[in-house]
Amino acid sequence: MSEDQTVTIEVDGREIQAKAGQMLIDATDAAGINIPRFCYHKKLSVSANCRMCLVEVAKVPKPLPACATPVAEGMKVQTRSPLAIAAQKGTMEFLLINHPLDCPVCDQGGECELQDVALGYGDDVSRFVEGKRVVMDKEIGPLISTDLTRCIHCTRCVRFGAEIAGVRELGATGRGEHMTIGTYIEKSVDSELSGNMIDVCPVGSLTSKPFRFRARAWELIQRDAIAPHDAVGSNLHLHVRRNEVMRVHPKENDAVNECWISDRDRFSYTALNSAERLDTPLVKTRGEWKESGWHEALTRVASGLKEAGSDLGVLASPGCTVEELHLARKLANGLGSERIETRLRQGDFRTAAGAWLGQSVTDLERCSAALLIGSNVRKEQPIFGHRLRKAALEGCDVSFINPLELEMNYAARQIVTPPAAMAGEVAAVARAAGAAGPLIDQAEVTERHQAIAERLKAAPAATLLLGNLAQAHPDYAVLLTLASALAKATGAVLGQLPAGANSVGAQLVGAVGDGLDAMLAQPAKGYLLMGVEPGYDLWDPAAANAALTQSGFVVALSGFRSESLEAVADVILPVSAFAETSGTFVNAEGTWQSFAGAVSPKGETRPAWKVLRVLGNLLDLQGFDHDSSEEVLAEARQQAEGRQLDNAPADAVTECRLVDAALTRIGDVPIYAVDALVRHAAPLQKTRDAIAAAIYINESEAAKAGLTAGMQAAVTQNGTRVILPVTIDPNIPNGCVRIPAGVAGTEQLGGQFGEVTLEKA
Amino acid sequence: MANEVCLRNNDLERPWLLEQYQSRGGYEQLKRILAGEITPAQVIDEVKAANLRGRGGAGFPTGMKWSFISREAPGQKYVVCNSDEGEPGTFKDRDILRYNPHQLIEGMIIAGYAIGATRGYNYIRGEFWEPYMRFQGAIDEAREAGLLGENILGSGFDFDLHVHLGGGAYVCGEETALLESIEGKKGQPRFKPPFPAHFGLYGRPTIINNTESLCSIPVIIEKGGKWFSEIGVANSGGSKLFSISGNINKPGVYEIPMGTPFAELLEMAGGMRDGRKCKAVIPGGSSSPVIPGEQMLDLTMDYDSIQGAGSMLGSGAVIVMDDTNCMVRVLERMSYFYYEESCGQCTPCREGTGWLYRVVSRIENGQGRPEDLELLEDVTRKIAGRTICALGDAAAMPVQGMLKHFRDEFEYHIEHKRCKVGA
Amino acid sequence: MKVITDYIKSLFLLELMKGMSVTGRYLFKKKFTVQYPEERAPMSPRFRGLHAQRRYENGEERCIACKLCEATCPALAITIEAEPREDGSRRTTRYDIDLFKCIFCGYCQESCPVDAIVETRVYEYHFEDRESAVMTKAKLLAVGEKHEAQIAADIQAQARYR
Repeated sequence: MSEDQTVTIEVDGREIQAKAGQMLIDATDAAGINIPRFCYHKKLSVSANCRMCLVEVAKVPKPLPACATPVAEGMKVQTRSPLAIAAQKGTMEFLLINHPLDCPVCDQGGECELQDVALGYGDDVSRFVEGKRVVMDKEIGPLISTDLTRCIHCTRCVRFGAEIAGVRELGATGRGEHMTIGTYIEKSVDSELSGNMIDVCPVGSLTSKPFRFRARAWELIQRDAIAPHDAVGSNLHLHVRRNEVMRVHPKENDAVNECWISDRDRFSYTALNSAERLDTPLVKTRGEWKESGWHEALTRVASGLKEAGSDLGVLASPGCTVEELHLARKLANGLGSERIETRLRQGDFRTAAGAWLGQSVTDLERCSAALLIGSNVRKEQPIFGHRLRKAALEGCDVSFINPLELEMNYAARQIVTPPAAMAGEVAAVARAAGAAGPLIDQAEVTERHQAIAERLKAAPAATLLLGNLAQAHPDYAVLLTLASALAKATGAVLGQLPAGANSVGAQLVGAVGDGLDAMLAQPAKGYLLMGVEPGYDLWDPAAANAALTQSGFVVALSGFRSESLEAVADVILPVSAFAETSGTFVNAEGTWQSFAGAVSPKGETRPAWKVLRVLGNLLDLQGFDHDSSEEVLAEARQQAEGRQLDNAPADAVTECRLVDAALTRIGDVPIYAVDALVRHAAPLQKTRDAIAAAIYINESEAAKAGLTAGMQAAVTQNGTRVILPVTIDPNIPNGCVRIPAGVAGTEQLGGQFGEVTLEKA
Repeated sequence: MANEVCLRNNDLERPWLLEQYQSRGGYEQLKRILAGEITPAQVIDEVKAANLRGRGGAGFPTGMKWSFISREAPGQKYVVCNSDEGEPGTFKDRDILRYNPHQLIEGMIIAGYAIGATRGYNYIRGEFWEPYMRFQGAIDEAREAGLLGENILGSGFDFDLHVHLGGGAYVCGEETALLESIEGKKGQPRFKPPFPAHFGLYGRPTIINNTESLCSIPVIIEKGGKWFSEIGVANSGGSKLFSISGNINKPGVYEIPMGTPFAELLEMAGGMRDGRKCKAVIPGGSSSPVIPGEQMLDLTMDYDSIQGAGSMLGSGAVIVMDDTNCMVRVLERMSYFYYEESCGQCTPCREGTGWLYRVVSRIENGQGRPEDLELLEDVTRKIAGRTICALGDAAAMPVQGMLKHFRDEFEYHIEHKRCKVGA
Repeated sequence: MKVITDYIKSLFLLELMKGMSVTGRYLFKKKFTVQYPEERAPMSPRFRGLHAQRRYENGEERCIACKLCEATCPALAITIEAEPREDGSRRTTRYDIDLFKCIFCGYCQESCPVDAIVETRVYEYHFEDRESAVMTKAKLLAVGEKHEAQIAADIQAQARYR
């Protein structure tokens, strides 16, 4: 049967067209004919276990499940015939006999599929007079709460885990009525996509723990937003009540996030009302922080910035909106400065390249071979990870070259090598693919390089992706040069997985400069920090701290109070966080997605674009007369017009800076440490993925240094000494130690990659 | 005409030993086939001619099942033997495994040859430890003798056989649940189509047959399909093992030709215990509807005759009950079985079996309400035909049968809150 | 003719006499005015007066924060906030009824699945400022405690009509 062959079927006397081989329920859904269902979910496999979608098919004596019955030419279906209705009502009665009907205390009440369908197919009085089944709830982590008595055993969550998240964390144990959903051995559900189980659960069996009992579905107003934590640009629905974001749901967009979002996007809203939120301007006078009014604070900032003049440096988070970055750049330019940087975690600026995905998001799942260099895509951009997993399950050959071994949820080839040797590995694959050049010619090719190169060459759609670990690498320029050569030799698409929600937008509006070194090596007279906590958001926190401390005037626009910020800043202006401001993000594939503010800014905070506009006015700069963020956007778009990003490096760099040391630090940024909002989201910080600052080291390296698990040890990097606990981790290669960046305890350390020494504390 | 096929070696002292089996011409048919005397197509034709219907309960023609799989289709194919004899009342396959394991092995190798499979599994019920050990011993013997493994008897044909001991779930007797169980998953039936002939074990074409069906194959090849077919009656070929139990004098397994009158079988089994009246007979395992004794005594033991009486021959598990049995109590026990054994996958069976059991139990315990009989019938109607596998039907049919033939006992129970039997 | 009858009517003050006879009759009839506050009018068990929140006999508050009353309130007089209590149960942290908004329709009581919010027979109350017109959870529970016996009796009396 070919894919595009269509058949005509008759449903309830209406002729509809369907694709041959398509399941009946897909055809009726497309035609707007409603068939009740519970276990069926369009993105999950068919299990046909709920028996709610039974319909009558002509010439078949028994009712058939619409979700598991393929259409056939001339098929005559009755979805509302007496036989079909009797079957559906029968199923409904069975589902309700053991369902607790505790709708008043159930968080799903009001948006429950069982409630909705029961309204149409349930009886008003139950014939079941026996005692109902009761199931003990299970503790499965800080994000999902369970009420298993309500479970109707549709197994959507089980199938979600097996098919989408790629980790079989939930399963059905027990037989018959004793069947329960659970983890079997008590453990938490740790997938980075686990929150979607809440969405797929048709009843209130799995509900959001942070949202538990806090609001009802009918009180919530749904507003659209774009996820602020990664370059996927997942579409969100913010559910707002009385000017407060109560929860976050995915907004379906098949071109970006389908109907899934990562837990990071789903639960980071909890930080919006955290105790660390900053809601009044803070001014430092004689070393003392004092709350102040906007006028006083802005006047102080204006005079400070005027003094800095052309010696102003702007460090902005890649999670800032297009509007904010455009105005920040304009402000700096107005003062005569060209120094603005958003690539805060890039380790090497020796060459310039436009970092973007190089293809569309949906292309990722269609690729047939992929090589990821320095990327833990599953944790860095979970939705891209899911797309690649989809590709892998369809037969895509996925390989990784990484400084540490990853936990995979699909079959992939992993080359794990110390950071200093990564360039050599890429060069070896390039050589195997037939490329030539410095480094490549000296590379030692082994079978696995050969295999990767062959698959990349043979694949009709191959891609090379550089991830966040590659960007943070001190030889990023070299890796990029080699990857570019490899892409040319294999015909693969070269792409990058940008770090922030607006990394691509930042490049398009010119909010990138000559790099962090240029910014920090020579302290500027004044700095403007936007959404940056110096101890956590920069590649080398130690260097940043030094530069900022020596600077004459530092103003920060921040949504949160932060010790690391208060240590260096002179004025902190409270700005609106995610969901409180309007703006635009350009995602990794280059799609501009605008959003409006969903709630009004908290306390005295103001949207950053407005703050920058007023600053422009106070500094008497031209062109700061925007009345709305749309006007700013229009101006920014005009500027960005015609700018094309190209992942290929402008200059070939083949000189490696990172040399083999006795011990090299791998400073990855854990999934729940990427920005201030996530770092303040309490539920996320309780998950297993909220990795704490520690020395992760393999057994043999630990033995060499005389360390054992649980021991406190001193790490010295660039002369700074920090005491951290030791954790034995077999995924770290010899000669390396993983000390995550962006987490409390690492604020004083140096660059994300670099030589360190260890000793017993 | 008894003990012609599956139990034909029972007169030997230790018929499960290879040497004893071979003394009766064992593995000779396999040798003929491997020598090229009989082609795979001929094997299937013989089985079709034998009119051998699946002995597990459904009665699907075995030859037709085999012909669904193309021998030429590339890739791995499997032969699976279903020895998960879980149907209450059935204990015939146990005797085959204990007393004639080599004939089953030979049958499976022939089946593998016919469809081009090189690997077979025998799924043995979890509680059958002794038969499991016996069968495993037979496999070891056969393998040692070069009858299993690579290049069997130098013919170039490979076939190996593995035993899988179940975990004790009735539902794993359902063929697709059995496949899931062999694959190491939870034993839950799959939605069909696709049928195992296209998507079976590990996603490969698979034939699944009952132990008795496969064990009959060597005899069919030896004596011809026509001979086998003629043992029985029209539409029910061959002889069949009946496990007869209940209030009779000599319960046990009897191999008799299809179409034998039930009265004759009852006589073989020593007649009714204490000469009491035969009140009711469950003719084909607990999931077949009950038939009143008088009616049963006029029937013959074959598919059409029993079906004509509104029941099923099923696996040939005949449960005979005399007039000391309370039918409410009997139904309560059976409903409890299905309640405990439902896999829990699909709604009507998961919820319905528990409901049925609770209502019947309530009636038995004197808590019945007049509307309960109507409720029971309605619930069975809502289960039957709406589940993924036949377990739902199996749970519904005994209830429907009981209410059809012994409704008065139920009404008596509800009205008087005690048993009619002995009243 | 009409002129003559009118003349007679006015001469003999017939209209006045008619009126006075009504007055005179009522002078001797049984009185039905009630001397409030010394006397009270009879009251239906369905009377919808001041709101109260009830507790179970064991002292546990009934309200489970289902928010149906808030949803059904046509005057938007009810404001509820909820979160899990320490023992994990679903409880309100705020339950306000603004009596200036309330129209005493009784829908809240109708919608309550656990008979937690009720309207009592109390109708004599006053506020001294706008703020005190908001019945908070504590105030509602206090009213409930005070009138529990009457509330329970009224609900019992109405049970078979609901």
